[in-house]
Amino acid sequence: MEEKYGADALAGPGGGGGGLGPVDVPSARLTKYIVLLCFTKCLKAVGLFESYDLLKTVHVVQFIFILKLGTAFFMVLFQKPFSSGKTITKHQWIKIFKHAVAGCIISLLWFFGLTLCGPLRTLLLFEHSDIVVISLLSVLFTSSGGGPAKTRGAAFFIIAVICLLLFDNDDLLAKMAEHPEGHHDSALTHMLYTAIAFLGVADHKGGVLLLVLALCCKVGFHAASRKLSIDVGGAKRLQALSQVVSVLLLCPWVIVLSVTKESKVESWFSLIMPFTTVIFFVMILDFYVDSICSVKMEVSKCARYGSFPILISALLLGNFWTHPITDQLRTMNRATHQESTEHVLSGGVVVSAVFFVLSANILSSPSKRGQKGTLIGYSPEGTPLYNFMGDAFQHSSQSVPRFIKESLKQILEESDSRQIFYFLCLNLLFTFVELFYGVLTNSLGLISDGFHMLFDCSALVMGLFAALMSRWKATRIFSYGYGRIEILSGFINGLFLIVIAFFVFMESVARLIDPPELDTNMLTPVSVGGLIVNLIGICAFSQAHSHSHGPSQGSCHSSDHSHSHHTHGHSDHGHGHSHGFLGGGMNANMRGVFLHVLADTLGSIGVIVSTILIEQFGWFIADPLCSLFIAVLIFLSVVPLIKDACQVLLLRLPPEHEKELHIALEKIQKIEGLISYRDPHFWRHSASIVAGTIHIQVTSDVLEQRIVQQVTGVLKDAGINNLTIQVEKEAYFQHMSGLSTGFHDVLAMTKQMESMKYCKDGTYIM
Amino acid sequence: MGTIHLFRKPQRSYFGKLLQEFRLVAADRRSWKILLFGVINLVCTGFLLMWCSSTNSVALTAYTYLTIFDLFSLITCLISYWVMMRKPSPVYSFGFERLEVLAVFASTVLAQLGALFILKESAERFLEQPEIHTGRLLVGTFVALSLNLFTMLSIRNKPFSYVSEAASTSWLQEHVADLSRSLCGIIPGLSSIFLPRMNPFVLIDLAGAFALCITYMLIEINNYFAVDTASAIAIALMTFGTMYPMSVYSGKVLLQTTPPHVIGQLDKLIREAGSVHVRIRRDANEQMVLAHVTNRLYTLVSTLTVQIFKDDWIRPALVSGPVTANVLNFSDHHVIPMPLLKNTDDLNPVTSTPAKPSSPPPEFSFNTPGKNVSPVILLNTQTRPYGVGLNHGHTPYSMFNQGLGVPGIGATHGFRTGFTNIPSRYGSNNRIGQPRP
Repeated sequence: MEEKYGADALAGPGGGGGGLGPVDVPSARLTKYIVLLCFTKCLKAVGLFESYDLLKTVHVVQFIFILKLGTAFFMVLFQKPFSSGKTITKHQWIKIFKHAVAGCIISLLWFFGLTLCGPLRTLLLFEHSDIVVISLLSVLFTSSGGGPAKTRGAAFFIIAVICLLLFDNDDLLAKMAEHPEGHHDSALTHMLYTAIAFLGVADHKGGVLLLVLALCCKVGFHAASRKLSIDVGGAKRLQALSQVVSVLLLCPWVIVLSVTKESKVESWFSLIMPFTTVIFFVMILDFYVDSICSVKMEVSKCARYGSFPILISALLLGNFWTHPITDQLRTMNRATHQESTEHVLSGGVVVSAVFFVLSANILSSPSKRGQKGTLIGYSPEGTPLYNFMGDAFQHSSQSVPRFIKESLKQILEESDSRQIFYFLCLNLLFTFVELFYGVLTNSLGLISDGFHMLFDCSALVMGLFAALMSRWKATRIFSYGYGRIEILSGFINGLFLIVIAFFVFMESVARLIDPPELDTNMLTPVSVGGLIVNLIGICAFSQAHSHSHGPSQGSCHSSDHSHSHHTHGHSDHGHGHSHGFLGGGMNANMRGVFLHVLADTLGSIGVIVSTILIEQFGWFIADPLCSLFIAVLIFLSVVPLIKDACQVLLLRLPPEHEKELHIALEKIQKIEGLISYRDPHFWRHSASIVAGTIHIQVTSDVLEQRIVQQVTGVLKDAGINNLTIQVEKEAYFQHMSGLSTGFHDVLAMTKQMESMKYCKDGTYIM
Repeated sequence: MGTIHLFRKPQRSYFGKLLQEFRLVAADRRSWKILLFGVINLVCTGFLLMWCSSTNSVALTAYTYLTIFDLFSLITCLISYWVMMRKPSPVYSFGFERLEVLAVFASTVLAQLGALFILKESAERFLEQPEIHTGRLLVGTFVALSLNLFTMLSIRNKPFSYVSEAASTSWLQEHVADLSRSLCGIIPGLSSIFLPRMNPFVLIDLAGAFALCITYMLIEINNYFAVDTASAIAIALMTFGTMYPMSVYSGKVLLQTTPPHVIGQLDKLIREAGSVHVRIRRDANEQMVLAHVTNRLYTLVSTLTVQIFKDDWIRPALVSGPVTANVLNFSDHHVIPMPLLKNTDDLNPVTSTPAKPSSPPPEFSFNTPGKNVSPVILLNTQTRPYGVGLNHGHTPYSMFNQGLGVPGIGATHGFRTGFTNIPSRYGSNNRIGQPRP
């Protein structure tokens, strides 16, 4: 009956398997192996379904023991590992022993997972070939995953697992999970059950996690045993020996079990037939066909053709196994017949099966690494040669603890980043206390407030990164150094605050129209806590800002604006421009962070005030009004920051240097031998660098270097500390007109030359 | 008298000024269309926000934020028109083209912040999934989709189209390209449709609409309300993926980094853009070196300033003796190859001038001339390892002295022969790379 079924299932996947490879249709030589592979995989699915039924009556350890015993028997018979081949050393025996132990543990996990979440889900999760899992892991944990296709495959795999975890309403199992203590057979299963219960997930979800773990173990196990199998003399011999050893290993345990526990099995005799089929289908046939196919075909092709039929037949069997046709088989096998349809097909399982098929197909396809290689030259025949080793050697990986230690050291080196870091820690601590307490008391308000705090922390994290990066050394791409990142980060933080103000504004307008009833008793302690944390932050940051403001900014800043941050929210909208804020002590990054903390503080104050108003007077309108007010305050306090950052980003002439620069330029014109100047550009690059470029025209008899020295001196006094001067004589223009062939350039050059001739003593007008 | 205007404070109020600038822009007929679209966009966004609150769907909200992003892109387009009309003022000595970059950066960052907000909202919704009303969900989706596509395809948005082409591809684009490549493997006829680089905005609009349709279907069929949250997260992630490369690109412009397309050519020429400090030997002809360097660089950089250092201005013949604080670390000495000097060894004085990258305005705005420059043909390209430049400094003087007095005319002759093989290309470059007046 199952044979017929298997043939039935084969028709689908066989056709599908042929259609899978669009470009390279397998040649006739390979076709028979592919058919054999598909057939075996379908039989394996049948075998696993049957073993699930068997596991209902037989204890899992006993089941594995019988399985291993049967396999060992057949394999010793076929392979003759003791009589043929070279002798095995003592050292190798120890390795085989280890191999057997690991194999036992993995099959224990596997079949325990089978009992937990049913054969269909087990097949979906566990029956992936090594290459699929390896490429999945390489996408997840290494940077060079192998292109977007692999990433997509990995995403599909994860989506499929998530579908099984979240969208699979396996109701019957959930019912069983309510009293899992009832039918525990041994200490081992009890231990696993407690572990799953500790994780706080339902039984079948625990089974899903267990199977994922077992899958990873299996892949690692296969990779590790590859060397041993060569040493011993072939994978088959190793398998045979290992099975024998594991039978010996499991033997005492099974004896103890059968002595202490009373068996649920009524007659072992009736189980011989199903056990034989399971041993053949799941262990022996699968192993041999796999090894043949991996020799005859590529590994990736093998994996592709193997995974598809097994997943499809699992789906089909999952749908039809409970039908009357197979019910006869079940009644024959099962001692206690109970009417149940457990681990049925659900929408989530179907979706996840589709995703598994897709991901197995994508991940097992050979990766096109050709794009990644670097061209190193051409061979004598003219074919290009690529170097693929590049990224393996270039990435010198740093150990994680050392990396953390180094970056911590960097953070703590300077006051800015130290302040932000400490405050971030405090904030995170508060957030996690809030989240933990929220989970403990099951209060949604607390948890969502915790998420809100986490959202706010992202601004702090960005500020921290900017403060760190701004101290990096200049590279060829960032040729001035990274100081400007602070300004950009300040700008982003300003935008962030505007977004927050906008959302608060919208929310409060919506509440003004339709004021909701509020439950105020939970809000107060949280907001008081938040207020305290933020007040600490404000104190720390404002101290840092008045403290660090002198030395960091150089010589030319007026310091009387340093304390106006606290009040500018109220005072600033009166008069439009406030250039004094630029360079007023704090850099843009710290100002952004400070304003963020300020906004949070305002929020906490607003909540407290509105709570008091609601509780005392019952004014429910107070809450939206408060938030409206806060939104306006945040917005007004951010505007100067955004404006200043914009000016710096637009390369504006630094306002605080305007006067000095004007005087300096007038001075430059009076330098002896200087005819005129053009293209004077001055801009603030970062908090500490004011850069400038200027072209000066001089008479032919002047020494260039002396002029450069003089002009540099004058402009340095004006506060420009990164200066480039181009000294042009008449000869320069002649050279240029000679060098360039374009008509426009010659025109421009002659114009400039004329200006040099005519404006001998006047000012040069741009 | 440009410098005098430095201190004239703006007298008018901000609002009046804004109105004036707005009139300036509105005088252009092209901007009418943008304004019309802006009004339509505002109205539709208002309706969409209402529907968002009535359906209680966070996925639709995430999609609406894309509409708001369209509004920002329209504003950016207006700004780029305004920028074209403005001349550099004394205070903003480089002109206002950077404002365009800033606008692009701000709008992409705002879109990402909106996506971050959506992520936060969805995290809260995972805890307690509210009920979604599907009433206006599909209507809202199609209104937003048609609005987005209409705006993106009918308006020629110069800054955004430039950025989306110049920035690295987003992951969404990469996946679509990968899929369409394999699709074209089956049906080769489709290659003309699918193989060119997809517009990232159109892509994200379509993908978001698709996610919303799935949401609608699943909620209608099965009341899976969690799908709404999931697709909101998907849309937010796609927004991140699309906007991130663009904000990185424009942020790098704002950070005054050396643009990547210039760096390859600069590697050949020398190492920096903007203003450059060149160190030469004491006996080289400064003006000639200056002319050479300028000539080489100003096809790449529009606003160029070259400063020349002589080592021995203060301390004679000391290579490691920096002249000013500007030239602090001579970590990378690169040799400027000069065409004339290739053939004759005795003209080495100029080749032995290590250039110190100092910096300034590497990429000022998006369409700096460097973008379209085809590589300048180099006659003597050599990138010497560290230390070679130093060694040059110690080579005996007698080698160089002959080349010093090369008269201007003689030099020009040599250069002309050097460049005759690329006259047309060079000429066209020069037009793009004309120095700012």
